[in-house]
Amino acid sequence: MTLLAVDGLEMRFGDRLIQTGVSFKVEKGTIFAIMGGSGCGKSTLLKHLVGLLPPAAGNVTYNGVDYWAADDDGQARLRKDFGMLFQSAALWSSMTILENVCMPLEQHTTKTEAEREARAREVLEWVDLGKFADFYPSDLSGGMKKRAGLARAIATEPPLLFLDEPSAGLDPISSKRLDDLVLDIRERTGAAVVFVSHELPSLFAIADDGIFLDADSKHPIAHGSPSALRDSCDHPTVHAFLAREEPPARDTQDGAKPVPSTTMPADDTATP
Amino acid sequence: MQFAALLPVRPVTFLGQVLISAGEAFTGRWQFRLKDLGRITADCSGRAVPIVTVVNVLVGAILAFVGAVQLVKFGAGIYVADLVGIAVAREMAAIITAVVMAGRTGAAFAAELATMQANEEVDALEVLGLSAVNFLVLPRVAALLVMMPLLYIYGCVTGLLGGMVVASGMLNISPAAYLDRTLLALDWSHLGLGFAKSFVFGALIGMVGCYFGLYAQRNAAGVGVATTNAVVTSIVGIIVLDAVFAICANALGI
Repeated sequence: MTLLAVDGLEMRFGDRLIQTGVSFKVEKGTIFAIMGGSGCGKSTLLKHLVGLLPPAAGNVTYNGVDYWAADDDGQARLRKDFGMLFQSAALWSSMTILENVCMPLEQHTTKTEAEREARAREVLEWVDLGKFADFYPSDLSGGMKKRAGLARAIATEPPLLFLDEPSAGLDPISSKRLDDLVLDIRERTGAAVVFVSHELPSLFAIADDGIFLDADSKHPIAHGSPSALRDSCDHPTVHAFLAREEPPARDTQDGAKPVPSTTMPADDTATP
Repeated sequence: MQFAALLPVRPVTFLGQVLISAGEAFTGRWQFRLKDLGRITADCSGRAVPIVTVVNVLVGAILAFVGAVQLVKFGAGIYVADLVGIAVAREMAAIITAVVMAGRTGAAFAAELATMQANEEVDALEVLGLSAVNFLVLPRVAALLVMMPLLYIYGCVTGLLGGMVVASGMLNISPAAYLDRTLLALDWSHLGLGFAKSFVFGALIGMVGCYFGLYAQRNAAGVGVATTNAVVTSIVGIIVLDAVFAICANALGI
C-alpha cells in the first residue's frame, strides 16, 4: 500500500534550481532513505514533503490526496498522519520534555490531559527517557534530545515518520541506539519511515529503499536500497558515496583535472 | 496598483496575520498556552519594574532640576510641579517606559524567536499545524498591550516622585504643596493621551520584536541582527508615533 507518492518534484531557491524530476513512492512499513552529498537538497526535499515549503513543480500525494493542492483544512488533516524528527531535534525550549511530547497529542487527539500525560510518559519510557520527563531540553545531551524528538514524533502513532539526519552528530553507540529505535518503531507500529542521512552505517542498517540525489546533475541518479546500490550501481558518484571510494574526477572550467583530495597542492610560498 | 507596489509586503502580511490571529483569539480560538502567556506577562511586568522605576525617577528629577533653575529666576518655583506633572504624564513616562521596554523586552522577544527559528522550533510548530503567529507572537503582543499602560501609570507616579524630591530639596516646596499643585495642573486629557500612547507603543514593541525574530536568518549572526533591528526600529517607531500623537493632539486641542 503506497502511503506517500512524489511525482516530478522540482525544488528551487528563487531562480536557483536545486533538484528536478524527483519521483518515488513509499510503501507502508518500509524505511526509505533520501541519500546524497552535502548541499544536494535532501533536507529541502523533506521540507517539501512535510508541508513547510511548497515545491516549484510536481506533486506530493499522501494516501492519494495531493498535499499542495489541498486547502488549509485538508492539509491539516493530512498533517495528523505524519511525525517529524528535525536535524536539531527542535524541542521547544520553554517546555519540559513531557510537555513537548504532549503537544502533538493535544493538537491531534481528543485525549484528556491525564491520558495525554500517561501516553507521553509511555513513549518516553520507550525511548529510555522516562526519568527525564520533567527536564528541559537544555538539560539533555545531543543523543537524548534526538530520542526526545523521536518520542514527540511518534506520540500520536502516525503512519508516516520523517527523520532529518537522525544520527548526525551522535557517537556510534548513540547512533546505533537510535537506529535500533527506528527499527523497533517500525516493528511495533508498522509506520513507514522516510529519513535523510549520509551516515553510511545507518543507511545500511535500516533502509529498505531509497533515492540518491546528485548535486551536480541536479536530479536523482539512483533508486534502490543502499546496500543494493553499493553492490550493483555502476554510477561513479553513487559508488564513491556508498563504498567510500575516491569520487569521480570532475572537469574544471579550463579543462584541467582537479587535484585529488588526498594530495596536498604544492605551495612554495606557504610558511610552516 | 502603483501604491500597492510600494507597500512592504512582508511586514504588512505579518500585521495582517497578527490582526487575524487576534480576531480568532477573541472568538476563543487561540492556540497559545496560557502558561506561556503568564510567563511572558511576568517578564514584561514584575521583572521590568526596577529599571522602569530607576529611569522614570531620574527623568522626573532631571525635569525638575531644569525647570527649577529657570522658574526660580521668575519667582515661579512652585510651577515646577506643573512642568514635571504635565511633561511626565503627556510625554516622558510613556516614551521613557517604552524605550526601556524596547531595549529590554522587545530585544528579548527578537532574540528568543530568532533562536527558535535557528533551532527549527518554529518549523516544528508549523509541522504540527500550529501557527507561529498565533502560538508565539500573539501572547507576546497581548502581554505588552496589557502591561505597558500599567507600567505607564507606574512610570507617572515614580516620575512625579523624582520631581517632588528635587523640588523639595532645591526649592523647599513641601510634598503636600507639590502634590496639590500637580493635581491642579493635570487633567484627564494629559493622562488619557499618555495612556493611549503607552498602549500603541506596547503593540509596536511587541510586533516589531516578534517580526524581526520570526524572520531572522537561521544562524547565530541572525539572532544578533534581529535583536539590533528590533531595538532600533522600535525606538525610531516610538519617536515617530509620538510625533504623530503630538500633531493629532494639537489638531484636536488636547
